[in-house]
Amino acid sequence: MKKILILLFLYVNVFAAGQVGDKAMNFQLPNLYHLDKKMSFNDYKGKVVLLNVWASWCGGCKEEMPLFVKLQNEFKGSSFSILLSNIDTNSQNAVSFLKGVDSHRTLHAVYDGDKILPRAYRCIGMPSSYLIDKNGRIVDVFVGSINENTLFKLKAKIKALLRK
Amino acid sequence: MYKLILIPILFFLTACSDRLVRVMPYEKEYLAQDKMKLSPVDARAEQEGHIFLIREASAGGESAFQGGCGCR
Repeated sequence: MKKILILLFLYVNVFAAGQVGDKAMNFQLPNLYHLDKKMSFNDYKGKVVLLNVWASWCGGCKEEMPLFVKLQNEFKGSSFSILLSNIDTNSQNAVSFLKGVDSHRTLHAVYDGDKILPRAYRCIGMPSSYLIDKNGRIVDVFVGSINENTLFKLKAKIKALLRK
Repeated sequence: MYKLILIPILFFLTACSDRLVRVMPYEKEYLAQDKMKLSPVDARAEQEGHIFLIREASAGGESAFQGGCGCR
């Protein structure tokens, strides 16, 4: 009976989605703007990161993008970064969309055409955002589009994490 | 012993079948395309709705608060 319970526990954990308290996954993916250049999550060590899984075919993802640009500009010069992970089949769709929203390339972006990150985190909705602290632990998970109301709470959390 | 092997296999198989059947949100790229809509031309949707109502010879039944009985 004990063994069955252990196996059940393992099973539940193996197939669970990315949750608060989990260690963020380390990855190496191409830069969305320069596909020949690789970006690693290790580059963000010691930083507070908002990892956003998005696609240009997802309406909610496009909706929240201007808010992210605004948020990143507010935290300019701090150790907070927004990292976009695009999962489009054609990366050019994402680049042309970002051209209109983030012409100064304020947001860092990687291209995840093989959908490695959403598979690893088992995203239950699009877009999904993961707030990761300086130690690389997931502090908060946002499923769905971030609106002004959520942004207010998110800002408070980022400020608290930056103070730590 | 037999049960100990069977249970994980059953769990694994059910997880597999779940993954095969369910389309995850990040896999809906093609489903999100305009051509996948039931009515691909937005401007024509209203007209199609009107024709549907005439054909069915009843009014309502399209929203949550109308029964589709024709009595509104």
